[in-house]
Amino acid sequence: MEKFFRRNFAGYSFLAPWLVGFFLLAIGPILASLYLSFTKYNVVRPPQWIGWDNYTYMVQFDARFWKALQVTFTFVAVSVPAKLVFALGVAMALDKGIRAIGWYRALFYLPSILGGSIAVAILWRQLFNYDGVINSMLRLFGTDGPYWLADPNYSLWTLIVLAVWQFGSPMLIFLAGLRAIPQELYEAAEIDAAGPVRKFFAITVPLLAPVIFFNLVLQMIEAFKSFSGAFIISGGSGAPLDSLLFFTVYLYNEAFSFLRMGYASALAWVLLLIIAGFTAIAFWTSKYWVHYENERG
Amino acid sequence: MSQFNRRRFLQTTAGVAALSTFGLPAFAQDKQIRHFWWGNPERDKRTFAAIELYNAKTPGTVVSGESLGFADYFTKLTTQIAGGNMPDVIQQGYGVLFEYIANGAVVPLDDYVGNSLDISRIDQSAIDAGTVDGKFYALSIGANSHMAIYNSRLYEEAGIRVGSNFDPYGYTYDDLKRMAVEIKDATGIPGTDDNTADYQNFSDFTVQKGANLYNEDGSYGPTQEIIEEYWSIWAAIREAGGTPPGQESAGLAGVSELSQLGVVTGKSATSFLWSNQLVGAQGLMQDTLGAAMYPNTPDMIPGSVIQPSQFVCLTRDSQDPEAATAYMSAFINDLEMTKVLGLERGIPSNSEVRAALEPDLSPAEAVSVAFFDAIQGKTAPLTAPPPSGSGEVEQTFERVAVSVLLGEKSIPEVAADFLAQANAILRRA
Repeated sequence: MEKFFRRNFAGYSFLAPWLVGFFLLAIGPILASLYLSFTKYNVVRPPQWIGWDNYTYMVQFDARFWKALQVTFTFVAVSVPAKLVFALGVAMALDKGIRAIGWYRALFYLPSILGGSIAVAILWRQLFNYDGVINSMLRLFGTDGPYWLADPNYSLWTLIVLAVWQFGSPMLIFLAGLRAIPQELYEAAEIDAAGPVRKFFAITVPLLAPVIFFNLVLQMIEAFKSFSGAFIISGGSGAPLDSLLFFTVYLYNEAFSFLRMGYASALAWVLLLIIAGFTAIAFWTSKYWVHYENERG
Repeated sequence: MSQFNRRRFLQTTAGVAALSTFGLPAFAQDKQIRHFWWGNPERDKRTFAAIELYNAKTPGTVVSGESLGFADYFTKLTTQIAGGNMPDVIQQGYGVLFEYIANGAVVPLDDYVGNSLDISRIDQSAIDAGTVDGKFYALSIGANSHMAIYNSRLYEEAGIRVGSNFDPYGYTYDDLKRMAVEIKDATGIPGTDDNTADYQNFSDFTVQKGANLYNEDGSYGPTQEIIEEYWSIWAAIREAGGTPPGQESAGLAGVSELSQLGVVTGKSATSFLWSNQLVGAQGLMQDTLGAAMYPNTPDMIPGSVIQPSQFVCLTRDSQDPEAATAYMSAFINDLEMTKVLGLERGIPSNSEVRAALEPDLSPAEAVSVAFFDAIQGKTAPLTAPPPSGSGEVEQTFERVAVSVLLGEKSIPEVAADFLAQANAILRRA
């Protein structure tokens, strides 16, 4: 024991800042929220144990909970595939050995760095306002755009566009994956007279599958957790008519507008289980469509 | 020069770390008082100036101010309650104050009255409003009421004149509709904001119809008929062209920033707010604002109340309640400080302060005072504070009213849906 400490003390003391942060700021609050999810807790009074009530209320009586799920699932189901297709397309265009490719990469990656920020969400609101840039441009062509943000039929789509616009990080990963595909496979295919479509589906997609899978899981988790865009654009409430009521926005509202910390904790755990469930499904399906080079066929 | 090796480095940094820990109390011999309020640019400017005045004339106490917009204020306060580090002095409103008192976050002031806290010149009505179960908790900073503000230039261009064809203290929804259309025809700008999703107006209307927002047993007062009538009145004004398009108003439902008011953005000629916000709104625009009551029904049953706009309260986390209450005392009594603060938070409840302010009121403040003189006797009695859950009912109203504005569902349908949700919220709270 003593020997262990003497040998590893320096290592652990360098790790200490991270370890302290991990236990105090991550594990601690996570366990606390698990406990709180079984209580009624309004911050000012001590928590009160109520068993499974939060969870049963959610499923049986809470219409906004189901609405939030519907909005979040729609967002994930549309934005993730759209973003991946877009990212792959741009990556393939950039893979052609263009000059000054570094600049293009940086340029396309930029939105991903900015994307999660409050400033971009506010900018988005300005762009899609009724008197905003988008509608002013439409007016140049003689059409009048709708109220993108105030009309529940359009509001979610503005956020999906915002999400797709942040295609930078999957694009970079795709680009690296494309570079790793041996060129001679394409040459061999060309000798066999395969066209570009055939090459894409017979060579690019199968060999890129591990990278596609990685991007899919990562982007799906990110989409489920998406918060700041919907929060800012809807003014914090999920408006109009709850069309932007992302699960995280609803959770925030329950916690900080209505001070139902216990209920909000329960919501957070439900979101965790949903994300875990979908990630597990993705991994399970992956054995049917993702093949790694070093695995035995 | 001595060698700066690793051991030496560790010693030095450890020394500095130790110094900074022990050093803190030494620097903090002054009493530190934190004052937290929700504000707008005008209020922040005035309040920080008043704090500077206080710090200059009170050696040994350092007051520091913190300000946020209304939307974020209570979120921050909540996390501070949880963390046990609320500021010493906080601002509270009439509705939510009572929850904080019930929860013990705000503490009674009785021990300080007559010592560090002077309330001898405060109106009895203001003291009563801050008293719960015989204990005095909250110092009113000013009286407040619902107010319609209008762009006088646009009203004049449409030929609408106070005294001849417009009585700001006794006009009906039909009058408003007629004027709104006249303004639209004369200036191209719709005459009024659309209050379909405005809960303040709806609560006034409920009282104007002879009901209460909450019954004595805490259940919800407005009936299906009242809700339908309210939305139908505004639908008629909207369809006549007196308001901006429904979708435009839908985007503003629940938004409380002064900068988004129709009169400020120039998208309408009339907006609705609390009377103490007049000064802040005027600060954001060029044209002169006039003040009126909310519209009424032909029966003219009073719907608005006069209530304390805001209170300053002492929190349970205050380390130095003597110094904090002394500051609170100066905040409402000191003639130099209250002169800087003016009427921005409402009509002061200290008679001496009111008299001292009178000679040099700004034009907007003069409008406020005239408004308050005119509405005396035309307001409803102050009701009991709303039950918990009322804030959520209000947000629900703002949310569902959007489907009326967008024409997604019929008014009776939305009204029934709202009532069901409101009752569910009140049962759960």
